[in-house]
Amino acid sequence: MAKAFKYGLKGISGFLEPAERELLRSLFADVISMLEPADRGSEDPLAAMIGLDMEVREPSDRALRRLLPNAVKDDAAASLEFRQLTERSLRESKIGALRAAALGLDKDELVLTPADARHWSTALNDVRLVLAERLDIRDEADADHVHQMQDWSQAEDVESYLALVYNFTTWLQESLVQAMLQSLGARP
Amino acid sequence: MTLSVALGPDTQESTQTGTAVSTDALTAPDVPWNLVIWNDPVNLMSYVSYVFQSYFGYSETKANKLMLEVHRKGRSIVAHGSKEQVEQHAVAMHGFGLWATVEKATGGDSGGGKRGPGKGKGKRG
Repeated sequence: MAKAFKYGLKGISGFLEPAERELLRSLFADVISMLEPADRGSEDPLAAMIGLDMEVREPSDRALRRLLPNAVKDDAAASLEFRQLTERSLRESKIGALRAAALGLDKDELVLTPADARHWSTALNDVRLVLAERLDIRDEADADHVHQMQDWSQAEDVESYLALVYNFTTWLQESLVQAMLQSLGARP
Repeated sequence: MTLSVALGPDTQESTQTGTAVSTDALTAPDVPWNLVIWNDPVNLMSYVSYVFQSYFGYSETKANKLMLEVHRKGRSIVAHGSKEQVEQHAVAMHGFGLWATVEKATGGDSGGGKRGPGKGKGKRG
């Protein structure tokens, strides 16, 4: 069993079983592949260099739309303009955090620097956002319903398996954030 | 937002920040754009509070107060500023996975007569 993250003298540390590390590795990889933009050979290299993306559109996939949400409510044109200026770098920073967290899984014991912890917390959050869309969590009642699924021996279908994975990542993120809050409190 | 597992939200509310608008420069009321954070059933209450503390530098009390406002009212204005400032905050919030939007402040001060247009209206690119 995984151990909750703890804040101590070494910083933030945790422990995951090999199977749990494998699970997280594949979850991180899934979200990375969702976020990697399609290859566009004909793209203007100057625009790419400064992070502009004039071809960008609001994602049709709901989970991706949650990771890359509209920034102006009820204004598609303004949201699109915002996307053109920012979405590429947002995708890159999310992918960076997910890759950094995945790299940390290569070691048996997890000892996180403050930067590692930030990468881990956003990576776990993005994984949970995607799983929540797949589980159709729309409100607090849906979240409570999913949360009741705790017994791995009852995982009979894809949905109950996803619910268990969601609850595992939720527990892990909660313990990490508690440790991060403690480290904030200990700041000079 | 969701409260996972058994850990309680440490939300001792004090009256220290009596009203939603504080004297904090980020939340000065005379600037014309708002950063809004929306509730969702996924983000952990602790995580949202952590983001408000670590990114905006808000106290634990203020961060928890804003977090609970998001949770209970569905949305909360967590920062004010120029259009550029709140847009930059919005990208950062999306980086953390929070659902943020920018909006023009209502209440008749959107013309910005007393503070001048600054660079707020400039289109980039």
